[in-house]
Amino acid sequence: MSNDLKPAAIVAVIVLIILTPAIQNALKEEAAKYVNDSESSHDGMPESWNESQILCVLFPDDSPHAEFNSGVTMIESDGSTYGVNADYNGTGACVGGFSGYTDGMSFFLDATNATNGDLAVGYDVGDWGPYVHTIGGLNANNLTGDFSGAYWELHHNGALSMVGIGDVILSEGDVLLWRIGTW
Amino acid sequence: MYDFHNIALTPAQSLLLNATILSVIVYAVLKGERRIEESNPLAMLGILAVFGIAGRILLEPLPNIQPVTVIVLLAGVYFGAPRALALAGVIALASNLLFLGHGPWTLFQVLGWGAVGLAGALFADRLLKDGELQLHALAALAMISAFAFDWIVSSSILLKTDVSMLAPYLLNGLLYDLYHAVGNLVFIAWLAVPLGEIMQRHRVKPSAGTVSELATE
Repeated sequence: MSNDLKPAAIVAVIVLIILTPAIQNALKEEAAKYVNDSESSHDGMPESWNESQILCVLFPDDSPHAEFNSGVTMIESDGSTYGVNADYNGTGACVGGFSGYTDGMSFFLDATNATNGDLAVGYDVGDWGPYVHTIGGLNANNLTGDFSGAYWELHHNGALSMVGIGDVILSEGDVLLWRIGTW
Repeated sequence: MYDFHNIALTPAQSLLLNATILSVIVYAVLKGERRIEESNPLAMLGILAVFGIAGRILLEPLPNIQPVTVIVLLAGVYFGAPRALALAGVIALASNLLFLGHGPWTLFQVLGWGAVGLAGALFADRLLKDGELQLHALAALAMISAFAFDWIVSSSILLKTDVSMLAPYLLNGLLYDLYHAVGNLVFIAWLAVPLGEIMQRHRVKPSAGTVSELATE
């Protein structure tokens, strides 16, 4: 008896093996759950990061990041991608899943290091502590437009940070966010 | 003493080892089956149970690839729902107790495979015409059975959580359901005809003694 199921089965196995990563990603995307609470500093972050420390970097529309240019990419502390929150207002990346940091600068450097260079940091150390001029290849000093000057602006738990990154003291669940500010 | 058993195997090596053992079992059981002269459905069910238990445990490194669903489905077709259910129970309980872990989910696995066997029995007339398996229909039912079985087993999470968790949980397992379905397709393609031939020999048609004597001459 001729059995045309054998070639069909081999094709099905090969197709499934090839499609596995794509299916995995699609399912991950579907299963991703983000906090929806505009009062919370974790708004828009993965629910699984609720207790963890998070670092976000948002890029201006005129100078998007080469990789993180659509929605906000959520990156786990081990460098794997959790998903992309397409509904977030802005584009960029967040790195989360950290705990136990108190010193803002060391958390900032460790979190950006987890992205395999995608969020590489450049800073100078002056009398006022470290001054961050570059994140993810974007040097704020090089930005030009309808403003006098631009800088990387630090937000701590949703509010403008009163101190520089070198003086930030973190608690569990804190969120640091960098975005471009102008004057 | 000599620590001969302390050999670390890579996953690929251990899979190869298991596949070899499984092949030996299949070969030996098939050889042994030839010696059973009289039609003997219960001996056949025992052989199928050995296949299912060994196959399930030894193929454990592969995600959700195991021959049990196909074996139970064929048992339903050839031997009817009650025997397929018994087979499902023996395979699930034995393989879980021996190796894979026994718990409330075992009951759901028995129910899941029991349902697969029942489906096989219900569609037996269409899957088996004049002693010949209708492979296309069988493959389709085996692939549907993969999803049905997985979803029945997944519903065991309702013991711990509420209904709202079920949909994301099922969605999360979709890739594994696909592995199961494609695995079943492979088993149907290679195993259904040889297994079907053996099962046919040991089949006793219910309430038709004279017919069965004619059929097995």
